[in-house]
Amino acid sequence: MPTVEDLLSTALYTIEPWASVRRAGAVMEYHGIGSLAVIDEEGKLVGIITSRDIKGSHPNRLVADAMSRQVITINPSASLWEAHHLMVTHNLERLVVMEGQQVIGIITGTKVMAELGKYVDSLTNLHKAEILYERAVQLLTKGCEISVIFLDLDDFGRLNKQYGHVHGDHILVRTAQILKGLTVEGRDTLCRYGGDEFAVLTPQSLAAAEGLAREMVKAVQGEKWSLPIHITLSAGIAGGRRVDGMDTVRDLKELAEKLVNQASLASTTAKRLKVPVMVANTDRLPERRPPTGVEG
Amino acid sequence: MTPREILSSPEPSRKAELVIKLSEFEIPPTQDILLVGRKAPIGPEAARRMVDAVSPEQYEIISLDHEIFEAIVVKKSLLTLLPKDKLLPVVIEEGNRIADANMVIKAQVNISVQVSRTVDL
Repeated sequence: MPTVEDLLSTALYTIEPWASVRRAGAVMEYHGIGSLAVIDEEGKLVGIITSRDIKGSHPNRLVADAMSRQVITINPSASLWEAHHLMVTHNLERLVVMEGQQVIGIITGTKVMAELGKYVDSLTNLHKAEILYERAVQLLTKGCEISVIFLDLDDFGRLNKQYGHVHGDHILVRTAQILKGLTVEGRDTLCRYGGDEFAVLTPQSLAAAEGLAREMVKAVQGEKWSLPIHITLSAGIAGGRRVDGMDTVRDLKELAEKLVNQASLASTTAKRLKVPVMVANTDRLPERRPPTGVEG
Repeated sequence: MTPREILSSPEPSRKAELVIKLSEFEIPPTQDILLVGRKAPIGPEAARRMVDAVSPEQYEIISLDHEIFEAIVVKKSLLTLLPKDKLLPVVIEEGNRIADANMVIKAQVNISVQVSRTVDL
């Protein structure tokens, strides 16, 4: 997933605080942009002026009298999620991107949202797998313990063939809603991993993740579907944390991938053994679940 | 009037009357107080540059949390006669009666302090 820096255009347009609002407007119009970073004689960032500020100000005013002095800045290496979070928190449409004391660009909410939209699954509105990996790396960087729950619908291919893909899509959407209802916003990251597979990243212990997985399996199993079917899930869980020597994002990404893979294999084992939840690298065999699949 | 008569009429006379008013330009033109409207052609920073350029350190610029006015520029010497919390609310209240956010209001303020004291004989 790109960072803030990847979305920056190469040209940076600035204006001095003692220029007129009329001039700022002309500069923006000429370059087809919606804001200018305001830099003083010493090269220091003192504000930001946007097309909205210009509309609300007399053209004779100084930029210093029309600009916003509360400038929220972001590091170029920050993730787009951080940028989005800052914009939402401060109700901003633009962030100034600074490397040390130097302004290197401005990033807009429209650009951030357009990019983030690429990582949202259009059917279920859940994140795509890339987001889960990114969040995993963030948490591992902070030294957090993470757990991954991998969830796979049982016999979904058969359901699709028997009832058609429209009903199959409905099952996926409803399953996504059920799973989302059990996750905690801001703590857990739920994604549609692909096809009929979902994954949850949580900064909780393996035991807590196992509890969450069981709740999810139970909730989906207890759902009343419009078709005469029982839908069940097989869940695999894996957990871990950063260890000494893992300093690069690449190392941490590899660890996250390893955990997802272990969880995925555990869910396959759970499916094979006909148990609802399986924790990777353990020989615990939870209780068997009732028969699943198509009724009568 | 026939066309011939029109042609023979004299040209109208044109006169210009020049009125000149001479008075001293006061520096700065701010005098005592300026109330700066939120949408006025000049803002607080422009006012600061103006008074600092012509009368350095003689004026104070105070930002206001007010619906119409964004800031008030006040001559510091006035504040030695009357504290800020006594002077400014009165000026703002009166400015509010006549101004809108597009205006910069100039206020001339004369303060006379009346003192009456009795002493024991």
